[in-house]
Amino acid sequence: MLKGHLDMIVLAALSAAGPAHGYAVIEEIRRRSGGAFDLPEGTIYPALHRLELAGLLKSSWMTADSGRRRRVYTLTRAGNRALIQRRAVWKQFSDAIGGLLGGTRPRENPA
Amino acid sequence: MIPDYLERLARELSFDRSLARNVRQEVEDHLWEAVAADPTGNMLAAQQRAIANFGDARAIAAQFAVISLARHSRRAGAAAVLVIASVFIAMRTRIAWNAAAQLAIGEEDMRAVSGLVVLIDRYAFWLSVIIGLGSWAYIVSRRIPAGFYPAYRKQLRRFFVLCCAAAAALVVSVISDGVLTALLLRGTELSAGFLVPVFSMAIEIVCVGILVFHICGIARRTASTAALLNT
Repeated sequence: MLKGHLDMIVLAALSAAGPAHGYAVIEEIRRRSGGAFDLPEGTIYPALHRLELAGLLKSSWMTADSGRRRRVYTLTRAGNRALIQRRAVWKQFSDAIGGLLGGTRPRENPA
Repeated sequence: MIPDYLERLARELSFDRSLARNVRQEVEDHLWEAVAADPTGNMLAAQQRAIANFGDARAIAAQFAVISLARHSRRAGAAAVLVIASVFIAMRTRIAWNAAAQLAIGEEDMRAVSGLVVLIDRYAFWLSVIIGLGSWAYIVSRRIPAGFYPAYRKQLRRFFVLCCAAAAALVVSVISDGVLTALLLRGTELSAGFLVPVFSMAIEIVCVGILVFHICGIARRTASTAALLNT
């Protein structure tokens, strides 16, 4: 289930953390999910590259304090828009499932 | 231990050298940071843990292969548009030069042949413009998938067919241009005025070569991606 939402999770983590490198993104996901999303770390990098190719992220290289080259990712305007859109879809989905499981009617979509 | 892992990862990513270089640097930074954050202080165990948490190099390379394929397909789509635009510029330059130099086909029967060739040239060129633009628009509007799914394979196949059709139409147009240029220059004395038509023809041939090279590249990469995912 997590795999299908990986892009949204990465976008949300970058939106919360601001410009960050891959390791920091993973740490942010782990911290904000309370350790629930402990995904294989290597899967984050293809997702970051894919989102960059789609224009939702941009990256730049810098030198870290350790002296190593580090790639830092930032959310683009298109990325921000995509995140807002995905959040809305997720909210609608979660309300609907909540309504089904909890027996409460989900709020009508004004649109 | 980490250098060995990075070496293995770079080897698996050898289908795309610049991607391999970038990913290697990124992963190196990640792994050493994970080692530094390890609370045990045991360097060897920390490295083992960092590598294990990161995942299998081949599986990661397979995910990158799909992204590399998507990137190169988009590049090929853009190349198709640029190549067609370059052929158009070369063609217009030659036509303008021919008019300025007052070059014209002398023989009556050859003029009838050239009329037919001009018609073929025109239709083939505009067909390549339409298909080329269509193939570029098609590939950039597709979502980049997380895996090499059947739906994406189908999209790539469609894009490949479109690119081949655009290239075929362009080849016909360039051959027609070659025939027209040969008819025009036939019987005329060799002079510096030859340079512009001959050079513009050379540009057109090189452009077609570039497009064919990109199309072959997509076919090669698609096959290597499929092979990487199947093993």
